[in-house]
Amino acid sequence: MFSITCQNYRGLKMETNWILFYVTTICLIINPITADIINKNVERNLDIASQLVKTSYKIQVEETAGKPLKEYEFIVREPNLSFISVKDGFNKKLAFEEKKENEKSQVKYKITFASSAPQQTLLIETVSTKNILPYPSEIKQNDKQLVKYVGGLYLYSNYLTQSQRINIQLSSSNIIAHTQFRPFSVMSNKMTFGPYENIAKLTDDELFVHYENQSPFLTVNTLERTIEVSHWGNIAVKEEIQMTHTGAKLKGSFSRYDFQKDGRSGQSAVKSYKTYLPASATGVYYRDTNGNISTSNMNLMRESVDLDLRPRFPLFGGWKTQYVLGYNVPSYEYLYSSDNDYILKMHLIDHIHDNMCIDEAVITIILPEGSSNIKLETPYGIKRHQNALIHTYLDTVGRPVVSFSQRNLVENHIAEFTLKYNFSKVSLLQEPLLVIAFIYIIFLLTIVFLRLDFSITSHFHKE
Amino acid sequence: MEQMQRYVSPVNPAVFPHLATVLLIIGTFFTAWFFVFVVSRKSSKESTLIKELLISLCASIFLGFGILFLLLTVGIYV
Repeated sequence: MFSITCQNYRGLKMETNWILFYVTTICLIINPITADIINKNVERNLDIASQLVKTSYKIQVEETAGKPLKEYEFIVREPNLSFISVKDGFNKKLAFEEKKENEKSQVKYKITFASSAPQQTLLIETVSTKNILPYPSEIKQNDKQLVKYVGGLYLYSNYLTQSQRINIQLSSSNIIAHTQFRPFSVMSNKMTFGPYENIAKLTDDELFVHYENQSPFLTVNTLERTIEVSHWGNIAVKEEIQMTHTGAKLKGSFSRYDFQKDGRSGQSAVKSYKTYLPASATGVYYRDTNGNISTSNMNLMRESVDLDLRPRFPLFGGWKTQYVLGYNVPSYEYLYSSDNDYILKMHLIDHIHDNMCIDEAVITIILPEGSSNIKLETPYGIKRHQNALIHTYLDTVGRPVVSFSQRNLVENHIAEFTLKYNFSKVSLLQEPLLVIAFIYIIFLLTIVFLRLDFSITSHFHKE
Repeated sequence: MEQMQRYVSPVNPAVFPHLATVLLIIGTFFTAWFFVFVVSRKSSKESTLIKELLISLCASIFLGFGILFLLLTVGIYV
């Protein structure tokens, strides 16, 4: 019924587009936005099958008085919110701005619609980290990892919600306990709560699920990504990674015998994981302070290089590992030029493992010596560090270094940054000239020394 | 951005090892010639300075580029 009216309305709008435009404009000028907004239907999909809480909202907003709707306030009550994206019904990205709240775990977003209409559809996606907690927090080697998720049963909204439903995707059908608020249904690893009708605004009720989750709870504590640009045709990428298994901690001793023999042992332990590198990556290395870690596999795929990384030991809860992963990519993949202007377009962070969660990432870009006018553009807010100089092989004044950092990153943050700079092609000859000068000086010294007379006795035949 | 071209190295990275080998061989040849020439000078009064300077210049240019491409070959991207 609703969709029919919606289509009719759209057809009408197409015909009388101009008239409606004027009416809308006049309405906007005359009437300020009032709070007669309601959420007609809210559908939430909650994915808690991994270590991340991924929520997608589909909200149908309506202005009951029929006035055009331009702005909407959306409240997120999840701590550690990492990523949010807002789209309208036509899958177009919408602008939104964050409003500071006094409460720490509450963030308010003011969403502006692309067009004003009394009925709007919103598609919102959020990802938050560290909201699925192991419960119990310590388990033995053979135990299953159980986790607890606590969230909101209703959409916490500034507006009245007519009808809402929440679908939950779990990692297994082993559910220990959950909120018993009718109507709800449980089907193996899927749960549905609702529909709940006419929930008043700012209603808060707890949703709680205690279930088995054996997916890897890996947190990258620090990622130090170094991108070194060489105008001899290469970009070297180096990632120094420190990661911790943040699932239920291992209680008691670790038995290698049980781990190898019993398939049920250490299910929550991380034995290996996959990292996807760009398809053009060559010269890949995976090492730590001891040297090369040989227990890894590399598969060349069509669109990526798949690395199957296996740490030196299986990672149990609370265990840490650190390593360095590096590779080279040819410059024509990411570097663009016209005369002396250059643009570097690369991923700010790259894939480390599925459903990854990075506590802190520090990205360092080393440009060739003599680069100037450096301008950085990033897809999202970052903390820019001061530019520095680094001295490596065949450097005189040092190479300019651009570095910045960001906290709490997930896979959705894999996006490209743009770095513009100027570089004169003649500077490329500086390095060979440096070597040539060095060798020529040695030759000159030889010539001079051979002409000096170091003998202590005088030569008879000369007299 | 649209009118920009993808940046390619002035020298194809595939020929780095060959270039390094050839340039270093030529450089070593000039170095050897220089030392043979200098040592086999009959008397110190002979004025061969210009020739010595020219041979050593050739040697250092070839050795210089040879070393650079050797560095690039082994993965030190200067």
